[in-house]
Amino acid sequence: MWILPAIILIGTVVLAVPLGLYMAWVFEGRYRLPTVLRWIENRVDTGPQNWKQYCWAFMLLNLGTFIVGYLVLALQPWLPLNPDQKGMLAPSMIFHTVISFMTNTNQQHYSGEVHLSYFSQLFFICWKQVLSPVIGLAALVAIIRGLRGDKDMGNFYLDMWRGVAYFFVPLCLIVGVLLIAGGSPMTLHGKAQLATVEPGAMGSDDSGAAKLQEIARGPVAAIVAVKQFGTNGGGYFGANSAHPFENPNDWTNLLTCIGIILVPVATLVMFGKMLSNFRHAAVIFGVMLVLSVATIIWAVQWDTNQPNPALVARSEVAYAQDLPQAGGAAKPVWMVARAGQSADIAARDPAKQGADQPATTVYAGLPVDQSLGNLEGKELRFGTSAGATWAALTTNTSNGSVNCMHDSLTPLAGITPLVGMWLNCIWGGVGVGLINLLIYLIIGVFLAGLMVGRTPEYLGKKVEAHEMKLASLAMLAHPLLILIPTGLFVASSWALSTQNNPAAHGFTEILYEFTSASANNGSGYEGLADTVGAAADDNDAKLPQRAWDIACGLVMLCGRFIPIIAPIAIAGSLMAKKHTPFTVGTLRTDTATFGFVLLGTILLVGALLFLPAAVLGPVAEHLGPIPFGGG
Amino acid sequence: MRSHLSANLWLLALTLLLGAVLYPLALLAVGQTFFRHQAEGSMINSAGQPVTTASEAVGSRLIAQPFTADQYFQPRPSAVSFNATASGASNWGANNYLLRDRVARQLGPIVKYQSGAKQGQLAAPDIEAWFQKDRFRGQPGIVGQWANAHAGVAQNWVKADPLNSEYVAAWQKSHPDDVKQWIKENPDNTDPKPLDLAVAFFNSYSRTGPGTFPGVVEHKSADGKTTKSIEPVKDGTDIQGMFFDMWRQDHADVALQDVPADMVMSCGSGLDPHITLANARYQLDRVAGTWATKLHRDPAAVRLEIEKLLRDKTAAPLRGLVGVDLVNVLEVNLAMKNQFAPAGEAKGS
Repeated sequence: MWILPAIILIGTVVLAVPLGLYMAWVFEGRYRLPTVLRWIENRVDTGPQNWKQYCWAFMLLNLGTFIVGYLVLALQPWLPLNPDQKGMLAPSMIFHTVISFMTNTNQQHYSGEVHLSYFSQLFFICWKQVLSPVIGLAALVAIIRGLRGDKDMGNFYLDMWRGVAYFFVPLCLIVGVLLIAGGSPMTLHGKAQLATVEPGAMGSDDSGAAKLQEIARGPVAAIVAVKQFGTNGGGYFGANSAHPFENPNDWTNLLTCIGIILVPVATLVMFGKMLSNFRHAAVIFGVMLVLSVATIIWAVQWDTNQPNPALVARSEVAYAQDLPQAGGAAKPVWMVARAGQSADIAARDPAKQGADQPATTVYAGLPVDQSLGNLEGKELRFGTSAGATWAALTTNTSNGSVNCMHDSLTPLAGITPLVGMWLNCIWGGVGVGLINLLIYLIIGVFLAGLMVGRTPEYLGKKVEAHEMKLASLAMLAHPLLILIPTGLFVASSWALSTQNNPAAHGFTEILYEFTSASANNGSGYEGLADTVGAAADDNDAKLPQRAWDIACGLVMLCGRFIPIIAPIAIAGSLMAKKHTPFTVGTLRTDTATFGFVLLGTILLVGALLFLPAAVLGPVAEHLGPIPFGGG
Repeated sequence: MRSHLSANLWLLALTLLLGAVLYPLALLAVGQTFFRHQAEGSMINSAGQPVTTASEAVGSRLIAQPFTADQYFQPRPSAVSFNATASGASNWGANNYLLRDRVARQLGPIVKYQSGAKQGQLAAPDIEAWFQKDRFRGQPGIVGQWANAHAGVAQNWVKADPLNSEYVAAWQKSHPDDVKQWIKENPDNTDPKPLDLAVAFFNSYSRTGPGTFPGVVEHKSADGKTTKSIEPVKDGTDIQGMFFDMWRQDHADVALQDVPADMVMSCGSGLDPHITLANARYQLDRVAGTWATKLHRDPAAVRLEIEKLLRDKTAAPLRGLVGVDLVNVLEVNLAMKNQFAPAGEAKGS
């Protein structure tokens, strides 16, 4: 039960230390190159940049990847490597997918094996998933250079090339080979068609002949390696890492689960190395570890240690309510939540003070042995607590791959992925996770500074009004991008017609989708019917799905760029400031005390912003009658 | 600006070359050279040996395929009907009655008494007898109460088969009064379709055909053609499954044997190749009994042989450190088939 998460966390830390030191070595440019590679570097190196130039370069490259990505997807029917003849995609779905993969979100409204050719999988999905984590990493490296007071922020293009060529692709090559050895396919042959053991088990066609089983495959291992280790999460198949070809066995599950958090943890080591301040990095690591362990324990406790509540015995509940009437007055009633059917409403006389409460019965459970916890939407081969552990880690980071279906998590376990994405800084995305944490850090420093009555400082630089404005902007963008569109969709028919589950759970599906988009996570309560599909299937009946594509696309754009550019601007502004000497009165950022301040800041801000939404969704579902509706 | 553009284009071209061409090509080369079997999809032939071409294969050891015959172990339920070109799950939350309904339907025909005079016997005959008496919680009309409580499930029945919706449409024509009443209660919709009328239909049906359910019945005519029609049905697995949850509520104190959860809970991909050993043991009586009848052998001896096979094929995640014992359904079924019905003899089985 608890062994698997322990192995994953310990394994990650052991691997992250050498990897982080290596990353620092690469980004500091301490290597010596053969002539050919040096010639390539000279092509992309445009010289030292200040923060504005760095941002420009950053935006320009994103625009470039947007254009190339759009062309690859929009020309799919005419491009090669398409053995299963995948056709044209719906325009809104192309828009959504291109933004999704540009922003490291990798939210998927398409389904890989259904909609994409091998060319699109390689030249779009694979390529974008190589680039987007390194883009985040480059932004972080620039911020570190700013924080430590370098003369310039380095060169964005050079950082990108270093990250892709010397760090990320070599790492993925090693992982890819291990995945193939474990059973992930790596082929350019089209789907396999084979006769099943039991003739006709897949049914028979019109002429009465037994149907063959068709098995989608392709260059899977290459994509799984980049999606897992680059906090991408955009899987090859619709079922993502629950699919036996993406995640063939217990060992690949361990490897790819470590992969979710390996690079984010390694970036902390790199952060400490580049700042020459390992104690400060260790404090941040401690805070993240506490939050991460808490989310894992919560998910495993509520999902693996508890049965699925749909099948167990439950008491019916009678609530005293005041039902609004057309005239404006309220009518006192008893609402009896009958498990498994619609609620009964009975008259209530307030004068009797509850004496007229209707009788309720116990709803008998179904005879199912649920000693392994909630198995709906889980695969067996990874281990008992693997689904809940993965659900926590994939949302601690901005990975968003899944090896169990989050929609079918028990109601309370569903809080873990939501909290991970709301805070968005427990490990976080490659590069951007630490950037998000720096925002909390600056706010924490500011709060602590106010409490002791001194001008707050961070790493020897004064934090003043300008920085605080930028930090607040970055901090507030996230909740606004989640809560406003959620409210809008809940009030419209777009959301209602696409829900897969009733009542509070349906609300959570909507909340989750926007949370995932804004956090650039990409996981989903996948029941949500957000797929337009092929262009041939696109018609006006798909209006809600188009609305999902466009709304999520816009949220992902803002959710990516505001929280990256604002911190680069903060670093640029701190870079220009004079270093204040370290005195007894300086707030130290490398102590356990500061760790608690940081933890408190994160929890306080997070709770203030998102508690109401959590209560309306998963908490209401847990407390409400189960099963409630939908049939 | 020009230097920006040139660096950008170089970077785009170089990363495309590296990330979309060289990197996958390198993995392709390694995979096709050293791990050909895995790289092509871990397919196996009827002898259970690894093969790399689909025409020789009977399945992939990583991908579940359906088994329906009684002599085989059956895989976990699949939300996508084992379609390995469109993986997916039910995505049903705990508060969705469809989840409980799906589980109850699977349980009805297989659930056994745990104790009492009928220990070890199927509950199914009792469910049918209870259904035919047509009283739930003391009230008459099981089918009507069922539709009232689970309107969505009733509507799914109308959608499930064109025959069903035609039947409701015919009822709609012959019962103008019921339809009028429905329109009175639902003034927003003056032109109801069969789907809208599902609950009203079942209430009316329940009054005229107590103790029965409108089921699809197949008839074989003299020339060998099969025709389907809707007729009142009072027994069968559909009845046992659909009304099991209600029967359970009327018999809450009866002790029933627990069924292993992985037998009724569907998996994440719809293609989970494994079941738990506990699940396999639960199916063992049926599997061994069927082989014994087929081979005219002693059931106990066959059972022992299959148990040994299961033991040989059992493995647990990370050597048991993080999970329970599992068996691969395709591998164990193939092994069983090869042991009891070697190629040639198995025809038609």
